[in-house]
Amino acid sequence: MSLIFVKNLRKGFQGVEVLTDVNFQVDKGDVIAVIGPSGAGKSTMLRCLIDLEKVDGGTIEVEGEPLVKDGIYAPPAQVRRATGKMGMVFQNFHLFPHLSVRRNLTMPLMKVKGTGKEQANALALETLKKVGMGDRIDAMPSTLSGGQKQRVAIARALMLNPDIMLFDEPTSALDPMLTLEVLGVMQKLAADHMTMLVVTHEMSFAKEVANRILFMCDGTILEEGTPEQIFGHPKHQRTADFLGNNIK
Amino acid sequence: MTTSEILATTQALLQGLGTVITLFVVVMVASLPLGFLLTMLARCRIAPIRWLVNAYIYIMRGTPLMLQLFFIYYGLPFVNDFFKMALRSAMVCALLGFSLNYAAYFAEIFRGGLLSVDKGQYEACQVLGLNRVQTTLYAVLPQMFRVALPSITNESITLVKDTALVFSISIMEVLYYAKAAVSRTGSILPYAIAFLIYLALNSLLQLFFNWLEKKTAY
Ligand SMILES: Nc1ncnc2c1ncn2[C@@H]1O[C@H](COP(=O)(O)OP(=O)(O)O)[C@@H](O)[C@H]1O
Ligand SMILES: [Mg+2]
Repeated sequence: MSLIFVKNLRKGFQGVEVLTDVNFQVDKGDVIAVIGPSGAGKSTMLRCLIDLEKVDGGTIEVEGEPLVKDGIYAPPAQVRRATGKMGMVFQNFHLFPHLSVRRNLTMPLMKVKGTGKEQANALALETLKKVGMGDRIDAMPSTLSGGQKQRVAIARALMLNPDIMLFDEPTSALDPMLTLEVLGVMQKLAADHMTMLVVTHEMSFAKEVANRILFMCDGTILEEGTPEQIFGHPKHQRTADFLGNNIK
Repeated sequence: MTTSEILATTQALLQGLGTVITLFVVVMVASLPLGFLLTMLARCRIAPIRWLVNAYIYIMRGTPLMLQLFFIYYGLPFVNDFFKMALRSAMVCALLGFSLNYAAYFAEIFRGGLLSVDKGQYEACQVLGLNRVQTTLYAVLPQMFRVALPSITNESITLVKDTALVFSISIMEVLYYAKAAVSRTGSILPYAIAFLIYLALNSLLQLFFNWLEKKTAY
């Protein structure tokens, strides 16, 4: 059984089709890089998976349970259960600016899962250490660099113990040095067998860390394969053109 | 004026201070939550509720507070016996009028604060599994409040000064006692003392809000 199963996904904004027909699946342990030109619909696709956007048609199943089936949404409780299996990391972090790093991590856990304070604190420290931020547990987000903010945001998502992590251009707001530290954390996550779906412009990450690549273009997945297939022998001219412009 | 006269005058004026403080405290305690409620209702899914709330805010902000006080104190008792009974006390009318009026201003302030909360905050809450109430309580409200704080400070300083308006519905507060003392003694010194009393009050208030702003800064 695949962790995420997507079939015939369609989505438009004000009558303009943004996702025309998206089909793919994510298996346990997959690290999938989603690449493609800007405006291809990568973010929209990711946002549909976690119910930040409503689809117009198609099916999304999470661990075998439908979130939406043939365009018809499951009851709210089931939708929450499905999206609860995923964590999401945004381009602009979206940390809670009024809460310390510690509270950013513990607040959702305590409110959503009713975890006790002691236990939440202990888990926060452990999780922050994983992303190399253990020593900044009592910092306020405004005092952190972009790379540090993003690592805290990753830790915050991990606190809820998701089976799948979604990343939407997690390093696009960062300069190259900070990009590396965030990619490092993601690489470590991958090595720990976290299932990941990563929208990215970092071709090195796609090449070296991902086991599969989806090339998205004009609202559909034009081509999919291993990094060797996509980078070595792209089947479509569009893919080759895109990679040609992106390989540094 | 001799020193003892000044002291006596100050003492007389301070009698009105209790009224000012009561008005201030009660109106703040009533109008802040009421204002927030209005802000929330102005975002309600049911359109007629939104219209009503917006009309209310429009009217309250668009007409003089003194006129509103007159309307409540002198006007409403003519409507029926219930109002006649309920609004016998000028102080009750003042508290009611001020609270209703300030709630409208606070509603506008909160609305601005709410607009300043980034859309990404709501999305982060949703993907973390927080429900609407939790999102509002733990993410939106604290940020909204922080943005609104300087405007709340402004409004409360205005409120202290506005309390002098209740003079017009014959409530005895600092201004009343000052005027009485001026006509009794023929000196304008009581006015100067009234100045100082209001200034002192607002200085305290400013200090408090400065402290609160520091404490809630992030
Ligand atoms: N909320 C929205 N309202 C209207 N159009 C949108 C919205 N979000 C995205 N779009 C449009 O959908 C298309 C795909 O956007 P997006 O998914 O962000 O692409 P990508 O992430 O691949 O760059 C773009 O043309 C974009 O303008
Ligand atoms: Mg995007």
